[in-house]
Amino acid sequence: MSNKRKQHRVLPGFGLSMGYTLIYLSLIILIPIAVLFLKATTISLAEFWETVTETRVVASYKLTIYTSFIAAFVNAIFGTLIAWVLVRYEFYGKRIIDALVDLPFALPTAVAGIALTTIYAPNGWIGQYFESIGIKVAYTPLGIMIALTFIGLPFVVRSVQPVLQDLDQQYEEAAATLGANSLQIFVKIIFPAIFPAILTGFALAFARALGEYGSVVFISGNMPMKTEIVPLLIITKLEQFNYAGAAAIAVVMLVFSFVLLFLINFWQWKTTKKYQVC
Amino acid sequence: MGITIKDVSKAFGTFQAVKNVNLDIPTGDFVALLGPSGSGKTTLLRLIAGLEGLDSGGIYFDDVDYTYKTIKERNVGFVFQNYALFKHMTIFDNIAFGLKVRPRKTRPSKNEIAEKVNELLKLVQLDHLANRYPSQLSGGQRQRIALARALAVEPEVLLLDEPFGALDAKVRQELRHWLREIHQKLNITTIFVTHDQEEALEMADTVVVMNNGEIEQIGSPEEVYQKPESAFVYSFLGRVNEFREPERVGESEIISYIRPHEIVLRKISQGNSIISEVSHIHVIGSTVRIELRRHDTGDLFEAEMSIEQYQNMSPVKKGDILHAEFKNIVVFNSENKITHLANSGIRNSLKSKLI
Repeated sequence: MSNKRKQHRVLPGFGLSMGYTLIYLSLIILIPIAVLFLKATTISLAEFWETVTETRVVASYKLTIYTSFIAAFVNAIFGTLIAWVLVRYEFYGKRIIDALVDLPFALPTAVAGIALTTIYAPNGWIGQYFESIGIKVAYTPLGIMIALTFIGLPFVVRSVQPVLQDLDQQYEEAAATLGANSLQIFVKIIFPAIFPAILTGFALAFARALGEYGSVVFISGNMPMKTEIVPLLIITKLEQFNYAGAAAIAVVMLVFSFVLLFLINFWQWKTTKKYQVC
Repeated sequence: MGITIKDVSKAFGTFQAVKNVNLDIPTGDFVALLGPSGSGKTTLLRLIAGLEGLDSGGIYFDDVDYTYKTIKERNVGFVFQNYALFKHMTIFDNIAFGLKVRPRKTRPSKNEIAEKVNELLKLVQLDHLANRYPSQLSGGQRQRIALARALAVEPEVLLLDEPFGALDAKVRQELRHWLREIHQKLNITTIFVTHDQEEALEMADTVVVMNNGEIEQIGSPEEVYQKPESAFVYSFLGRVNEFREPERVGESEIISYIRPHEIVLRKISQGNSIISEVSHIHVIGSTVRIELRRHDTGDLFEAEMSIEQYQNMSPVKKGDILHAEFKNIVVFNSENKITHLANSGIRNSLKSKLI
């Protein structure tokens, strides 16, 4: 059954490293998630169904998914733009901007949430101008999107930047000699090459936004049916010592996220496969 | 389309890549830019294509000033060293690219594009690969597709940067003939860059030898080989032995050269010859190269003969003593003027070096 002539590997010890990988994944990810599923099964199926389909809960699913999607989408566009600027142009202070991109990772999310709420509140620095043209930012889904955009930005920039860096200028030159204009070069040559990376960044930002709690709870205002996100509902249930209910909602969210990420990864895998070169 | 390059210079930072180059290329010519790496040949090619902007001088296509025209306006076909085929497109789409990006008014219809692409695929003899991706092709096939793609836009000038650099010897040989044929068929002005003197001499109508950003000589392959105008050209084209005379007070060093095939080896002393010991014998197909060490100075030099001559000479082996007669010594004086010293002037004080 086993192949006698073993393939040469750079690092020996496949058995050991694979074993380590599995233990590590189990301890950090699989076991906690399994416990979550176990906890959710302590209630009956009817109770489970009732908890996860309650109108207030369903509204929160919708809100979380749609704000997360918009935030990740905005990041996919502007994150790519930032990566482009950082790779293609030389300017004074480039290193500082480069470092600034990672800041949303470092900042405690609650601090970010409070800061964003302060400036986007109806009387805040930026919020007052929106208020004057009749747009409410804080305490609305728009505010949630801003918070989620903030925390998701580094994912897209950091996914696209290295790919853009490695992109050989020769392809653009070749396209130019064949008569393509700048827009055509970007759309037909550069974009297909960086698209898988943008997709990766999008998926990461989206996943992160689905689970984000700290920065959102301040700016959202947490009005039931309107600006209540799923993580907040879970916390609420926990505070009422309804652990099984919290686990039930979490399970639904988890399954949904997993399916979505799996689909995005599959799509990304399909696009990348096509471009593979010698 | 004829190309005239007038006094063109280009620097990258402090490095002067191309210095005051003047070049006149008539319509339909097949030109090789030949030189060692760093000689500015690729930069010159990229300047012609408009891929680099020049610092001074002018570039004219058929006497029209093209110096500041964009890449698009120049209508040149450019084949890159590593082909630069678009990885995410099929071979068909790669070739069709130049036609598909045209503005709607001048863009051919879908059927016309398909027809044109298939015609080009036939020209490069790869019509069965239309639906493959570049990663599924061999190096030689990619090279042909890159050429077909460049030809799709019907360029008036074809520029190739080290077209066969990354290919193995056999494929390279095939493609050389094939490219010549294509040039004869289409008769468009073609310029290619190479560091391989054999490739330049074999393919080009005109060879432009470059060194240190300047043109050393322009001429037919025969001219540059038979009548080199400078020491650089002489030593760059073909194998050569270099002899340095020790410096004397107040005089600059004199360097003389001789090609290996202009050295006659005999077993017995005859005329003005130098006693040397055989240190190596290489049989390379139909030619034989013999490395010898001079007895007087201890320097190495190389002689070359055909396999017939080698076989006619009674057996020679390593360590044998032979008499070497230098038939055609070439000396370049300080003004780079050439002097031929046939069968004379060999002084024992000459030091030799194999280059």
